Amino acid sequence: MKRLLVLGLVLVIGLSFAVSAKKVAIILDVGGRGDQSFNDMAFSGAERAKAEFGWEVVDIASNSENDYVPNVRNAARDGSFDLIVATGFLLTGALNEVAPDFPDQAFAIVDVAAGPPPWNTQGANIMNLVFNENEMSALVGALGAMTAAQYGYTHFGAVLGIPGSVLYHFEAGLRFGIAWANTKWGELFGTDPGINLLYNYIFSFDDEELGESTTTAQLAAGAVGVYNVAGPVGFGDHRAIVNAHTQAGTLVGPPYYFGVDADNDYFSHTLASGMKRVDVAVYEAIKAVEEGTFGAQVAANAAAGLAGGYVGTLENSGVKLSKAADLLEFIEFGIAAGAEIDYYQTIANWATERAALSDAIWDAIAELEAGILDGSIQVVTANTDDDMAAVRAEYTLGAP
Amino acid sequence: MTEDKKQASRLLRGIHRTLTGLHPALESVLAAIVGLLFGALIMWVWGYDPIVAYKTMLLGAFTDKWGLADSGAIAAPLVLTALTFSICLRAGMFNIGAEGQVIMGGLAAISVGFFVLPSGLHHVVALVFAMVAGGIWAIGPAILKLTRGVNEVISTIMFNWIAHFLSIFLIGAVLLNPFSADQTIAIPPSAIFSKLIRGTDLTYAIFIVIGFALIVYFVLWHTAVGYEVRASGLNPSAARYGGIKNKRTMFLAFVLGGISAGLAAAVILMGSSATHAMYRLHGQLRNIGFDGMAVAMVGRNHPIGILFSAMFFGGLNAGGRLMQLSSSPVPVQMVRLVMGIIVFTMSVPELARVFPAVKRHSVGLVKEMKRLTSSKGRR
Amino acid sequence: MSKRPRSDEIAKYYLRAERITKIYGDGTVAVRDVSLDIHQGEVIGLLGENGAGKTTLTKMLSGLLPPTSGRVSSPLGAIRFSSPREALAFGIGMVHQHFALVGTFTAAENVALSHERPFARTQLANTRARLEELMAESGLHVPLDVPVEKLAVGEQQRVEILKVLTREVDCLILDEPTSVLTPLEVDELFVFLGKLRDEGKSIILITHKLKEVKSITDRIIVLRHGELVGDVRTSESTTETLAQLMVGEVLEHEADAVELSDRDLPIRRVRKPVDRATQSVLHVQSLTSKGNTGETAVDDVSFDIHGGEIFGIAGVEGNGQSELVESLTGLRVPIAGQATINGTNILGKDPREIYKLGVAHIPEDRWELGLILPFTLAENAILGVHQWKQFKGPLSFLRWGRINKHVRELMDRFEIRATGPSAPAKSLSGGNQQKLIVGRELAKDPAIIVASQPTRGLDIGAAKYIRDLLVEMRDIGRAILLVSADLDEVLALSDRVAIMYEGQFMTVCPPEELTRERVGLLMGGVREEAVA
Repeated sequence: MKRLLVLGLVLVIGLSFAVSAKKVAIILDVGGRGDQSFNDMAFSGAERAKAEFGWEVVDIASNSENDYVPNVRNAARDGSFDLIVATGFLLTGALNEVAPDFPDQAFAIVDVAAGPPPWNTQGANIMNLVFNENEMSALVGALGAMTAAQYGYTHFGAVLGIPGSVLYHFEAGLRFGIAWANTKWGELFGTDPGINLLYNYIFSFDDEELGESTTTAQLAAGAVGVYNVAGPVGFGDHRAIVNAHTQAGTLVGPPYYFGVDADNDYFSHTLASGMKRVDVAVYEAIKAVEEGTFGAQVAANAAAGLAGGYVGTLENSGVKLSKAADLLEFIEFGIAAGAEIDYYQTIANWATERAALSDAIWDAIAELEAGILDGSIQVVTANTDDDMAAVRAEYTLGAP
Repeated sequence: MTEDKKQASRLLRGIHRTLTGLHPALESVLAAIVGLLFGALIMWVWGYDPIVAYKTMLLGAFTDKWGLADSGAIAAPLVLTALTFSICLRAGMFNIGAEGQVIMGGLAAISVGFFVLPSGLHHVVALVFAMVAGGIWAIGPAILKLTRGVNEVISTIMFNWIAHFLSIFLIGAVLLNPFSADQTIAIPPSAIFSKLIRGTDLTYAIFIVIGFALIVYFVLWHTAVGYEVRASGLNPSAARYGGIKNKRTMFLAFVLGGISAGLAAAVILMGSSATHAMYRLHGQLRNIGFDGMAVAMVGRNHPIGILFSAMFFGGLNAGGRLMQLSSSPVPVQMVRLVMGIIVFTMSVPELARVFPAVKRHSVGLVKEMKRLTSSKGRR
Repeated sequence: MSKRPRSDEIAKYYLRAERITKIYGDGTVAVRDVSLDIHQGEVIGLLGENGAGKTTLTKMLSGLLPPTSGRVSSPLGAIRFSSPREALAFGIGMVHQHFALVGTFTAAENVALSHERPFARTQLANTRARLEELMAESGLHVPLDVPVEKLAVGEQQRVEILKVLTREVDCLILDEPTSVLTPLEVDELFVFLGKLRDEGKSIILITHKLKEVKSITDRIIVLRHGELVGDVRTSESTTETLAQLMVGEVLEHEADAVELSDRDLPIRRVRKPVDRATQSVLHVQSLTSKGNTGETAVDDVSFDIHGGEIFGIAGVEGNGQSELVESLTGLRVPIAGQATINGTNILGKDPREIYKLGVAHIPEDRWELGLILPFTLAENAILGVHQWKQFKGPLSFLRWGRINKHVRELMDRFEIRATGPSAPAKSLSGGNQQKLIVGRELAKDPAIIVASQPTRGLDIGAAKYIRDLLVEMRDIGRAILLVSADLDEVLALSDRVAIMYEGQFMTVCPPEELTRERVGLLMGGVREEAVA
């Protein structure tokens, strides 16, 4: 009897040690690590939690779409994970299938809003990590339109990936921002420059060549720059911008590249990026579990009818237009990733490009940002095809 | 020195003699052990704990109902694509075309989403669509071979690419899901196989797979048609002497193989898939055909052997997923590498057996190329 | 022991085997405790029935197969090679009974392939030159620029022999070289071998044919069940003693033994007269066929075979016999002429339809045509009849029960020695394989039996058995077309004999009217008028 007690005690102590280190599983889609943007950022959010709370991080890759469900389910069944993060909307179906079977397991999914399946996820154990991409896209659109106006261009361009609610946020924000800028420019200088939007969905998140050819076509049609809304496709977009400069023999000035998700401002000819802090979102989800508020937070958000347990906004810096401080942070990120960057030259170039724009433009952008932050300006958004059609009808921007 | 050498060679010869006299099943087990040891060595060299990894993999895949069910779910389509390869090999041909036949089968199965039928009938229609599409896709290389003598290795690979690009076009232009631009419309619930064990990927489709494998076995070994296929595969001259029309048996084998591959696509899309839809680059179906060839080799190109080898292959995959979760996690690339090694060592005995056919084949290929290039050169 | 070489001979040995034994993995003792010396400048005949261990012994002598115990050596040291190429480099060349040729390569390419640097640019030209020289010297002629798969079996054998001869070997081992050669070629080969011997080379000749052994060898070694039962000087032996050593027991009937020693052949002189007024079973009129290389192989041939007679076709191999048989069995489409079986046209029909008319076909190449070696006995026993109602049920299902029963009957009736219906055909000895084919074909209850080289490569016992069967079939009224390269066989068995030369029949007559000399001239293409 005594022996049993001792054994029990040992077991209890052992178990308490075993549970002391919390664990998070980061389940990636077929894209996997090394994309220098979305997936890597999710992982770096977990790494931050590891440093701050001592969590253990396990990343789980998927060989094919067939692995999504088993990978999520195996992690849930394993029982040792305090949080399972599904990165990206490709895992929506898997989460919808598995999460109801494991009501006590905390899940989080990036880029998918709370709502009815199959295209959204719903459940007291799922924290949705979403972003108001329309807010920072409005700023990108306004900056792009005013840059076009200053340099005498007629259009701003956007190369988008696979259509869906996330990308509709981007497009709606862009349209709103360009329209706002046209009006503002009219107010400031007396004439509406009538900058229009050139946009193409290329139905891919990895076809760089298609990105390059699409960008080249948009530049030929008079775009002052191109906003990449398709992750790694941006490498192709950027090549097209560089080629345009090489052919024209220019070193500075338009055309410009506009980055996405991470701050890509350390690229050449890059004026700004529409940043989306996936790392912050993942970190916030882990923090909620660490502090024991996960369930309450999800429940409160559901009661309030919010799209997610974490919503990245301009207000909480979950989305933002890149600033100098971001460049300093991400230039290190780029150097660490092996990009050949001349640190001071890059910063100097970036500052020169931005300074070339009139102060009136920067003041206007600051005004728009302040308006969004204090709620006096409501940026339109879209989730469904119908929403998107309505936004396009309202902000036609040159389309017949 | 020479005495040592002699002793060593005597030992080697002894081992060789022992190995060549082994029962096939024992041979497979031995090959698997060699593969596991080699995989362990590689994991150890790269600083992973092979014991924990293998324990996770094997226990996870084969000791509980979850693992067994997931292994079975992965195995199901591989059985069918392995049969595609084996049936044609039995008929004396190398059909590398399962990959394309799977894609075509998948497109056909998806297309049942366009109409409404009662459950049951809807299943049957979807299965038949997939089988017919796979079978039709196999007819192309078969006709090229039988009428023009085009080597089937080359033509099936070409047909794979045609299927690949055709599917990209069809998915984008015809089958696209209006709500999600990255995938096709889904197969409706009335044509979905329900789960055999909830919380796993295993569906009732597994019975269709086992049934199909048994049918192939009976056709090949217990019917005159199968007898003709095997005879013409082993010795076409003798088969012809025996009144067998070799072209007919080759055609039959090709089409039956295509049907099997088409069915494999249906089994995935109507069964284990979470979305029951094809993605733009048909990721759920990718490599099913090629993995099937490895399964066929490990299974000695025999339907019953294939059932077991597919289960083993499924177990490696299902267990391999778990290795990422183990207390000493192994990254997925390492898991794939180790699996590749194990499958390779297990294929060796059958490869050695099939090698004469391969050699005959490659000599023919070389000759053909030589003829083509020399006639060009002379001109 | 008394037959061991004398001590003064030992010094001159080229190869020496000391108490070598070979036990295979499955426990078969192929060779047991054999000791012998091979000297330079002698031709040794290696006699023995199928399965006596002749091939195993020669493989050990040439260093390709390590003995389980004992040792093979030359004065230079132990003999052990890992490949035939290595053995060749040492000076030992072996020509196997079954060929190691690449079918799609030409003869010249195949020979070049066996050399040290097969892909060197000048290799092919050098090889060609050497081959032409050798062909003139040895009398073995083959077309050099045709893929070998298009060549007749006899021609392929010649390629194999030439392949080894190009390598300037000291010791030449020939496994059944004459079984596919014509008498003329055999003579030429033997003259050439004699020349090689005089140059001091050692030659080992594996054979069944007592007469050949007597005609060329200096010494004869007889193996039985893996044991060395005789090592005698040829001059001191008789065919009777050799046959006894080989078979091991005194044959059942004294008469048979005499016949054996005489012509190796059982001869049934009792012939029933054939009524030529009745309709013939096989009628062939002006049949013309092309060969694989497009030449006219069968040239306007006409003949009839009636029930109850054996129609024999003799001739040097490669004169259209194979093409004629193929044309009559559906394996080749003739370009002109007619052929009917009991009045029904057979030309242009496929083998299955022709079999339905009552044709049995014993093919010349039992490995390439007659059997599917990896298949079991049962599977082989239904080749060609697998569609018959008695073996095939509804839905094309094979009735394995009936098939196995049928096979057991065949095994009983035709004395096929095998472990059972599920034994693979390749596990059977050559004789049993041939009996399986013959049994299968005769079980069709055919109207006509087309037998092509039915006893090639078989031991005396099996050959006799098959000849007896053919005669038996004739006696119960079947028509038989016999094509054989063994002239004695054709002459002994046939009721009428045709001599074929360059696609045409030189003559058709009863064998009694043919002397060996006359046959020789006809086979060599000398016209009847000249003979007369």
